[in-house]
Amino acid sequence: MSFITVFRTFAVLLAIFAISMTGTPTKSFAKSKFVFANSSPYDTLDPHVIYDVGRVASRLNMYDGLMRWLDNPPKLTPWLAESYDISSDGKKYTFKLRKGSTFHDGSPVEAKDVVYSIERILALKKGAFSLFSKSLDPGSTKAPDAHTVVFNLKKPSSIFLATVPAIHVVNSDLLKSKEVNGDWGGVWLSKNEAGSGSFELTRYDPAIGFQAKRYANHFMGWGDKYLDEIEFRTVKEINSRVLGLMNGDFHGTDGYLPQDQVKRLAADDNMNVMEEESMRIFYSIIHNGRKPFDDVNLRKALSYAFDYDSFINNILSGSVARNPVPVPNNIWGNPKDEKGYTFDLEKAKEYLAKVKQPIPEITIGALTGYGQTEQAAALLQNGLSKIGVKSKIVSEPWSVASKKMRDEQQMYDLLWLWRSTYYADPNNWIGEMYACDQVGARNNSWYCDPEVDKLLMEARVEPDQAKRAANYKKAAKMVTDDAGGIFVYNTKWFGPYNKKVKGVRFSPIGNAQEMRWVHME
Amino acid sequence: MILGLIIVAIAAPVLAPYPDDVTEFHPAERLMGPSVQHFFGTDRMGSDIFSRMLFGARITITIAVIAIGVSVLIGVPIGLLAGYYRNWVSDALMRVSDIFLAVPQIILAIAIAQTLGASIENVILALSATYWPFWARLVYAETRSALNEAYVEASIALGAKPLRVMVMHVLPNISSSIIVRTTIGMGGTILTAAALGFLGLGPPAPSPEWGRTIAESREFLPEAWWYATAPGIAIFLVVMGFNLLGDGLRDVLDPRTRRSTSD
Amino acid sequence: MRTLVLVINRLLWFVPTLVGLMIITFTISHIIPADPVAFFAGENATNEQIEELRARYGFDKPLHIQLINYLIGVTQGDLGVSIYTQRPISEDLLSRLPATMELTFMAVLLSTVVGIPLGVIAAVYRNTMFDHVLRVITVSGLAIASFWLAILFQLLFAMELQITPLQGRIDGWGPEVITGFFLIDSIIAGDLDSFTNAAAHLVLPTLTLAFPAMATIMRFTRAGVLDAINSNYVLYEQAMGFPSRIIIWKYVLRNALIGTVTQIGLVFGILIAGTVVVEAVYDWPGLGLYAVEAILNSDYNAIMGFTLITGAFFIIINLIVDIIQGVIDPRN
Repeated sequence: MSFITVFRTFAVLLAIFAISMTGTPTKSFAKSKFVFANSSPYDTLDPHVIYDVGRVASRLNMYDGLMRWLDNPPKLTPWLAESYDISSDGKKYTFKLRKGSTFHDGSPVEAKDVVYSIERILALKKGAFSLFSKSLDPGSTKAPDAHTVVFNLKKPSSIFLATVPAIHVVNSDLLKSKEVNGDWGGVWLSKNEAGSGSFELTRYDPAIGFQAKRYANHFMGWGDKYLDEIEFRTVKEINSRVLGLMNGDFHGTDGYLPQDQVKRLAADDNMNVMEEESMRIFYSIIHNGRKPFDDVNLRKALSYAFDYDSFINNILSGSVARNPVPVPNNIWGNPKDEKGYTFDLEKAKEYLAKVKQPIPEITIGALTGYGQTEQAAALLQNGLSKIGVKSKIVSEPWSVASKKMRDEQQMYDLLWLWRSTYYADPNNWIGEMYACDQVGARNNSWYCDPEVDKLLMEARVEPDQAKRAANYKKAAKMVTDDAGGIFVYNTKWFGPYNKKVKGVRFSPIGNAQEMRWVHME
Repeated sequence: MILGLIIVAIAAPVLAPYPDDVTEFHPAERLMGPSVQHFFGTDRMGSDIFSRMLFGARITITIAVIAIGVSVLIGVPIGLLAGYYRNWVSDALMRVSDIFLAVPQIILAIAIAQTLGASIENVILALSATYWPFWARLVYAETRSALNEAYVEASIALGAKPLRVMVMHVLPNISSSIIVRTTIGMGGTILTAAALGFLGLGPPAPSPEWGRTIAESREFLPEAWWYATAPGIAIFLVVMGFNLLGDGLRDVLDPRTRRSTSD
Repeated sequence: MRTLVLVINRLLWFVPTLVGLMIITFTISHIIPADPVAFFAGENATNEQIEELRARYGFDKPLHIQLINYLIGVTQGDLGVSIYTQRPISEDLLSRLPATMELTFMAVLLSTVVGIPLGVIAAVYRNTMFDHVLRVITVSGLAIASFWLAILFQLLFAMELQITPLQGRIDGWGPEVITGFFLIDSIIAGDLDSFTNAAAHLVLPTLTLAFPAMATIMRFTRAGVLDAINSNYVLYEQAMGFPSRIIIWKYVLRNALIGTVTQIGLVFGILIAGTVVVEAVYDWPGLGLYAVEAILNSDYNAIMGFTLITGAFFIIINLIVDIIQGVIDPRN
């Protein structure tokens, strides 16, 4: 082969390359297909091994639960169940299933499927497992008849009902047939689906996302407006999601974009940006268990040294609401009259002067890839330097931070992060963040105050919501007064949708990703 | 150009129009475009990007100089020893350096930086640990060929001690190659350090390190184009400066190796 | 003969080098303070849950036992399971490989197709304006941070002009996977839309990745051609009155190209290091991105698997280059 031939081959290939460069993506979608661009990848479709908000779409759209959270503020609504009954001792929950609901293979949804589903969660020990591990023993859930399920709790729990929507019901006959080596059908279910939900899976690729078509026989029935097909696709880069929305490739994306991008979308003629106050609070954990942070004066000084106003109104362009307590503003149990802390360096110095112990260089943790946590850390560092407190920022990926959070020695002095809604009950926030029995697990502040803990423990078993609310309000005020953390804001959700998309229903659990209510014009 | 960089790095506090902006923020003035007040605009915290870039030069220079210095200090003696003696130890030393050279430097550097945690010191450590084999290899090869030179052979024959031969005869003979390699190595090290910063493994916020500034800017594109542009230009100029200097030195010091542009 | 000795020597060292590489990577990756199990189990996990998962993946055993278990697994072709994706590492790597190969191949193609001719021209017309311009490009190619170049390309072509996609490998599902190379698969499927779409996605990553490699190739070609032009036999041919065009094609290029080929190992090094960062910026679902994600997620087995494969690939490339060099240039 002479050089000339080589050269000629190259020239041809170059020409192909040049032609390919001029190619542009083509787009054509069926009229009622909705494409959602999601930031996190759908690594698995198994509804019992994941329990995060980022991948909620596969669970909400292909699976049903006995109960479901709807709207904002979220209302707990009977779903596969038509009614429920709680025994007077608060330990026995009896659900009556509605008749006529079917799985995607046509078989009826029965009590045995619910029992299988909770046993599967308890056996796999992943996903929502920790919600039930303390209240339910394996084998304790019974199905007296095909349409009755009885949960027998180890001890009364007033949050159990709130966690029932996390029990996504799977088709037990189908899964048992797919079981390999006692894996509860795990390998199969990670790539397939065995639900009764509004949509049934048609295509899945962990690197791309999933497609599903409407399940016409869904028990809820369908009006005359609906989507025929939905697609949830992973698009990590914010700019790709925004550009795709603007040129019509995508019809919706998650509602936690940076404010500058929200503005860009709001200005676009084809876009409609919905706004809702979510339940996702942003705060800094303070390691109360480590000296000198066990001194309330130091914690108060820290709380006065953060410039809440600049952060909320300038850096986040006023896109969030100040939330001064460890309970979201928009849920019952929030003490509305508690104003919390303001940026006040004089007061910070005052409290700092009362600290007897020497103050070392403070380590402020932030999460790599989450710009807001870094900006908050930098702003706090700046405030601290003005009252003469030295600090350093450590920015680490979530995989590192989530490990350190559980270890009293390794935990940062402070760590900025969010607390999202797993279930809409104040226990999801203050009840776990500041309870003594959660220290080192979900209480990463090593905060344990006997009085606060008593209020929280009472609220966990008390059935009357009004009494519970009173407890949470009181506890929230006490933790705030104690400066147990630096509480900054509650997130607003800005859902960007194509103007053709109608009927979106937002709920903090699921972030408006349940598509059965949606249609396109 | 390099001289300019060093001057900039040392005199950053004097040259920078807003020297406090490394740690001082003006959130009300965030993401403003280039203007007379702010040559390269402002960043997500409202700080002056130009001032921050000048301070970023300090970080970059510190990282590169120390990392390369350590690499040279480790690599040169290993290369000398392995080149001088011909036994299993020298073989083993070269094999170890081969292992390090068997994967792209950036992969090992990322892994080490991630292990140790993000900070300037750890970036330096990660770079030193991955770059020393380049000098070990170079010095090894040069030593082997220097040993064939008549005067070196002569001094060995006259009974000079190994250490004396290495330091007095071999080292001066190969020093020009080392200097050229070191200068060019600076460029590569700066690029890798910036890549580590870009991936979030460099010094944490609010450090004005160039790589991390580019990473920060991504979520504000395309509106805040200046945010990403300025640090990239800074990296480019510095690396190009070192590369040109290296080329120049090669032409002056070592015309013999002009062809082997081994980088 | 010397070549043979060299090859055998290299082959003998192949396995020890890889084992050494594994030990180094193992040590580095396993002292990471992060806990992939805690990460994977999720924010809601209890501590007992985490301990049990850790035992299931064998992370509760002492480090040296873990290393020995791992090495035993490797000899049986088992690279372990990714704690993050839950799939075997070999399956993950294999599914990611075509994306990286497609990108790397296009980059090699582009950099040689552009780099070699430009290098030749620069040498022939040395010290002209053209040569100087190319020299600036060469120097820039080695001085530009590829992640920055990638972002500039995105800013200009994808965001402002909107003539190329911003990132990713294809919109939507792509052609049916046969070879894993989207360009080839879409031709087999006769799917023109997929072909143009995949090709459009390739443009920016290829340009970014090829730029430094092209600069290197240009530089070597230029130097090689200059050396050949100045060599005695070319001067002789010139004296004999051969037309200079023929001399350049027939004598100079062949010798210069040999020099360039031997630098292929270096070019591959640039490209593989480049894919790590370039894939991260363009969200290109290849091995480089996989490596970065594995490191950030502290996915031990994935880090090890990637390093092992890259190391083996790298050593093989260098071995091939050595053999070629030995064959075409026995003097060395």
